[in-house]
Amino acid sequence: MRSFSLLFKQFSRSVLVVAGFAFLGTSAFAQGDAAKGETIFKAKCTTCHAIDRRVIGPALGPQLDTETDDKFLTKWIQNNQALITAKDRKALAIYNQYNQAGMTVFAELSDADVAGLITYVRTTYKAMQTAPKAAVGGPAAESGPSQMVIFALIGVIVLAFVIILVLNKVVSTLERLLLKNKELMIAEPVAEAAPVDRMATVKKLAKNKKLVFFVLLCGTLALGSWTWVTLWTTNVHQGYQPVQPIKFPHDLHAGAMKIDCQYCHSGAYKSKNASIPSLNVCMNCHKLIDRRKGATVPSPEIAKIYDALGYDPATTKYDSTKARPIQWIRIHNLPDFAYFNHSQHVKVGGLKCQTCHGRVQEMPEVYQYSPLTMKWCIQCHKRTNVNMKGNAYYEKMEAVHDLIKAGKPVTEAAMGGIECGKCHY
Amino acid sequence: MDSNKKYWKGLEELNKTPEFVELNKHEFAEPIPIEDVLTGGGLEGRTPRRDFLKAVGFGVGAVTLAACQKVPVHKSIPYLIKPEEVTPGIANYYASTIEGQAILVKTREGRPIKIEGNPNDIIGKGGLSARAQASVLDLYDVTRLKNPLKDNGDYGWEQTDNFVKSELDAIKASGKKIRLITSTITSPSSLAVIADFLTAYPTAKHINYDAVSYTGIIQGNQNSFGKAVLPHYNFDKADVIVSFGADFLGTWISPVEFIRQYVQNRNNKSLEAKKMSRHIQFETSMSVTGTNADVRIPIKPSEEGVALLNLYNAISGTTLPGSQKLTNNPIADKALTLVAKELLQAKGKALVVAGSNDVATQILVNAINSLLGSYGKTIDLDNPSKQFAGNDAEFAEFVSEMNSGDVGAVFFLNANPVYDYYKSADVVTGLKKVRLKVSFSDKNEETAALCNIIAPNHHYLESWGDDSALEGYYTILQPTINPVYDTRQAEHSLMVWSGSTVKDYYTYVRNTWDKSLLAKGGLSGQAGWEKLLQTGFVQTAPIAAGSYSFSYGLDSVAQKILDHSKELTADGSKVELQLYQKVSMRDGKRANNPWLQELPDPVSKTTWDNYANVSPADMKKWGWQDGDVVKIDANGYSISVPVISQPGQAQGTVSVAVGYGRTIAGPVGDNVGKNAFPFHTLRNNTLQASVVAALTATGTNSPLAQTQTHHSIEGRNSIIKEATFTEYLKNPGARTGKEEDHKVYNLWDNYEHPTYNWVMAIDLNACTGCGACVVACSAENNVPVVGKDEVRRRREMHWIRIDRYYSFNDNGDNGGTTREHEIAKLDDLDHVKVVYQPMLCQHCDHAPCETVCPVLATVHSSEGLNHMAYNRCIGTRYCANNCPYKVRRFNWFNYWNDARFENYLQGDHTQLVLNPDVTTRFRGVMEKCSMCIQRIQAGKLKAKIEKRPLKDGDVKVACQQTCPANAIVFGDGNDPESEVSKALKSERTYYVLEELGVQPGVGYQVKVRNISELEA
Repeated sequence: MRSFSLLFKQFSRSVLVVAGFAFLGTSAFAQGDAAKGETIFKAKCTTCHAIDRRVIGPALGPQLDTETDDKFLTKWIQNNQALITAKDRKALAIYNQYNQAGMTVFAELSDADVAGLITYVRTTYKAMQTAPKAAVGGPAAESGPSQMVIFALIGVIVLAFVIILVLNKVVSTLERLLLKNKELMIAEPVAEAAPVDRMATVKKLAKNKKLVFFVLLCGTLALGSWTWVTLWTTNVHQGYQPVQPIKFPHDLHAGAMKIDCQYCHSGAYKSKNASIPSLNVCMNCHKLIDRRKGATVPSPEIAKIYDALGYDPATTKYDSTKARPIQWIRIHNLPDFAYFNHSQHVKVGGLKCQTCHGRVQEMPEVYQYSPLTMKWCIQCHKRTNVNMKGNAYYEKMEAVHDLIKAGKPVTEAAMGGIECGKCHY
Repeated sequence: MDSNKKYWKGLEELNKTPEFVELNKHEFAEPIPIEDVLTGGGLEGRTPRRDFLKAVGFGVGAVTLAACQKVPVHKSIPYLIKPEEVTPGIANYYASTIEGQAILVKTREGRPIKIEGNPNDIIGKGGLSARAQASVLDLYDVTRLKNPLKDNGDYGWEQTDNFVKSELDAIKASGKKIRLITSTITSPSSLAVIADFLTAYPTAKHINYDAVSYTGIIQGNQNSFGKAVLPHYNFDKADVIVSFGADFLGTWISPVEFIRQYVQNRNNKSLEAKKMSRHIQFETSMSVTGTNADVRIPIKPSEEGVALLNLYNAISGTTLPGSQKLTNNPIADKALTLVAKELLQAKGKALVVAGSNDVATQILVNAINSLLGSYGKTIDLDNPSKQFAGNDAEFAEFVSEMNSGDVGAVFFLNANPVYDYYKSADVVTGLKKVRLKVSFSDKNEETAALCNIIAPNHHYLESWGDDSALEGYYTILQPTINPVYDTRQAEHSLMVWSGSTVKDYYTYVRNTWDKSLLAKGGLSGQAGWEKLLQTGFVQTAPIAAGSYSFSYGLDSVAQKILDHSKELTADGSKVELQLYQKVSMRDGKRANNPWLQELPDPVSKTTWDNYANVSPADMKKWGWQDGDVVKIDANGYSISVPVISQPGQAQGTVSVAVGYGRTIAGPVGDNVGKNAFPFHTLRNNTLQASVVAALTATGTNSPLAQTQTHHSIEGRNSIIKEATFTEYLKNPGARTGKEEDHKVYNLWDNYEHPTYNWVMAIDLNACTGCGACVVACSAENNVPVVGKDEVRRRREMHWIRIDRYYSFNDNGDNGGTTREHEIAKLDDLDHVKVVYQPMLCQHCDHAPCETVCPVLATVHSSEGLNHMAYNRCIGTRYCANNCPYKVRRFNWFNYWNDARFENYLQGDHTQLVLNPDVTTRFRGVMEKCSMCIQRIQAGKLKAKIEKRPLKDGDVKVACQQTCPANAIVFGDGNDPESEVSKALKSERTYYVLEELGVQPGVGYQVKVRNISELEA
């Protein structure tokens, strides 16, 4: 089901993107210099500005909507510092309103460039205001149709069956009518004798002791192995995928955006805990990014980060009294009596995170990939060769050298890695 | 040749009491009810079929139901904004100070979990006492006050400040006296704050009050040399040490420092240089110091002064008026002449100390030391110790001032006179006449309960501050955790109340250091301050110790001593009572600490109690048994405590420890033992710890919780090995048993140790038995506290214990002191020798425990360790049965989650002290020393991450790290250059029960006693 909704999502997203481009295309044709303006906007402005909302600087749409003095705007964009030092009234007002944060000087922009930019912002903003309802459908489409489609499909299948049945009935009635007409009707009593025959077969089979033994054996084996497997996998939570307080998409962050795992899980290199990132790490990016690419409204999931921190995106202020921690659900639970150290495996052993955690970069929601049983640990320790390249730690170990000389691989197990006390203390 | 000397753990074993013999048959104190099953119809009896089916049905159903519980959902809650220096899973260390000693505080995720010595600390050089180790637990004490109190009701800080300030102003206007009572303060900043307070309130006075005071020494030095200081003693510079009742290795002034100094002349290094100091101890009760002495001579408190007079006479060759021979103690008398001779021979390298708090006695000791040329050498008056500055007379005066109604306000900081003053009733009545009574106690205690304001102080791990216990040594305190409760540092409170302009105490400390102290370490400014916070201390070069000439008329001194002696001499029906401090409890201020309560006394091996030490001969005379409760009557005060037969106790005396019998200490410490402080007397303006007392049996018996008799050595003679210094000089391998050549058979193949071979060496000659390792181990390895009842059942859980073995005196040429021969004359129990032996899992290569475990829960590792997998153990206890060293401990209860043990380590906050790298063990599981495997693994990992080979000393186990004597060395036996390999190569090394062929991984070094010259 996961893959199906994913497929649909991708499909609907691509439709939206095509539609968006088409829309932008038409508007670009309408204004001659807006296309150039768009390139400049994307290259120079998006770090601090968005059209419809405040980021570090003001939301440009409304700002340019109210401020119609294009001469002032041009001067401001090209060199706002000059205006401020000249104590321009309007300039000072903006400067003070936005915490006296200095805007970059863009002296390299020509008047035409700026004009294009302004046109672009204004037209885009207008388009946004006229078409917000259509855009709202975007995020809704992500969750809505998948269930609808399923129901529809089931409906179609049921309907098809009904039709097939009805048609069959019709066919058989017609055939019977044909046979009647030909006066070659099959005797009805034959059908009555059939159940007696069936019971007889069962009775007959029951008398075959070998067969009974075989069936019982099969049954016992099946039940036994089911019990065995059930007991064996008790408390093994492979595939455990709890609902997290924030729907954090690893596929987007680690997959599409290619953010290194350790950017967030920085403990993995130096500590036993890989550690869940504290929210200030999230804010490194999400101070600027409050929505999915292309979405026009802020993501409710990212808003949860702001809520937890007591951060108000409108004023960019933190209110620590409103702050409360996010309670993630722990997916990978090792029992307390097993000691596991990430840095040993990631930093020293050079293992990839994916070895144990699976292809997290493709998981929209993370689930427990490995069984995390002791057998699984031991197997790996028996099979994996020790990564001792360039590590002087292993230089003094004569026994290890003997193994290498003898042409034998040095596995974890050879280094004592499967002894009880290495993990249980 | 093995010594055929007889060693025994307790008198029960020596006398083979029927009880002991019976109990000894069993591995565990409480017999398993197998007998009932076998005799009471047991297996023969019939179980009706229906009952059987019922039981099976219920059992299966119950198990199924129990197995049906849902797997709990675990939450993972990250920091909102992570502090830069904190990485979850990695410990941070902060430099701080405890009692003047520089320490490192290990914190995990912002909470202190372990105290470790600062390796550069000049007092302990990384060694720490049991009390310092246990101090971290006090931080999480749930009975600490959560906010200020007024008349025992909750109060805010602002209200408190307003109230105290207005009261103080009124009292200032009325001209009444203001008194600030503190135990000795050594912090320069605190003293400055107090000075500011005294300036703000001119009628105020600061009085140092120590529950156990050293006023006698300070005033003795004032009289002898005009310097009212507590000198700095250099035991490391002394070749001959003679102590009269000074327990300098246990409780006297600065034991950690003295242990370190003392052992320098007795450890392996010193022995290899063919040098060993002599130590002769004259004392009443058996102290840790007495047990370590080469020669120990029991004397009564009344004989102490007379003995010193005789020693003075013998050394000076004069005779002080009135001096007489010790006619009742011929052994001591004879010893004194010989001691005098030895001291004179070692002139300039001799040291005489006395534990007495009597000024006259201390003046006489000064005179003796002066004759011996000790000043400037073994005694340093120029770089004095500031650890104790209490003035008994000043406090006594304060009590009478209170009672006469002159005192308007009193402040108590770390002082609890209602409990520990000898006339506590006077303090109580006096306090009633005081208008403003403020206590800074962070817990409710006897004195604080009578105060109208309690302004709770921070715990030291939450505080800023500084300290200077020794002249020229300045240490820093920095907080390692945000205050757990709404408390405020006492200094800050005093600053607010004296209208200080400095905004908080941190700034105040900072100013003190910026102004003068940083410069002493060649530091300055912000960078200097930051460096200080990392190093923990600054130190100035010590002032060259000058020699002092003694000038005081000794005739009057002698007269005073003789008078005192006469006062203390008990007639026939009475005994001389002597008060002492226990190593664990000291003055009882930290009675609510379960680690300290459960730490066995080094000598008596008793936990959770104080008791009357009586000599075996007296016990026999009065017909008492261990645990019989006797009433002790003196000074119009009486307590009933159990007696204990203590070999070495002087006959006709009884010793009781102070520091017990707290009534308001908290659930752990309340009503543990009896309060012996009121037996003190004030004589010549100093508090005296001896008095004449009457003993009467009450007819009841209260069994003591001793760990001593729990195991027997079954008459084996290869556990303790001991040689004399003469023997050692002749043959360094003397008495190790190496001369004997016996054939070795092995049932098993030898293990290979391809990577490391973790081994340990313990120098019996360095170990003083102080018990610091026991607490350090408990803190590091989450060892539970089981309480008095369980200890009585022999179920204490310590992974390392210090076995104390007694043996009879022998003169080095014993040639066959057989046990029967000696037991016949019990008199000799007065002169027993003691050896301490730290005993922990020996990590045998051919471990007997491993072969009997039916589930392979305990197995051998390729690194020479004996692993214990708790999750595998099913609790058959076969391993404990088969362990020749009796070091395996069984979890009889789930100590971490059982209401019966909730007073100890189960508080809401107490569990925060647990080491997160070590599992807590569940009921029904065996446990034992793991050689701090978590530290080994961490050390290896650190080396791997840093891509370097593991160095010797990278991994230090908890017991080794805290040992002030450096008696324990741990490391890789595969590395021939490692310290432990070198130590094990020492000729003195032997292995306990080597003949069993279990190939232990812990080697011991023979105890050497320097008894070549004196035949006492």
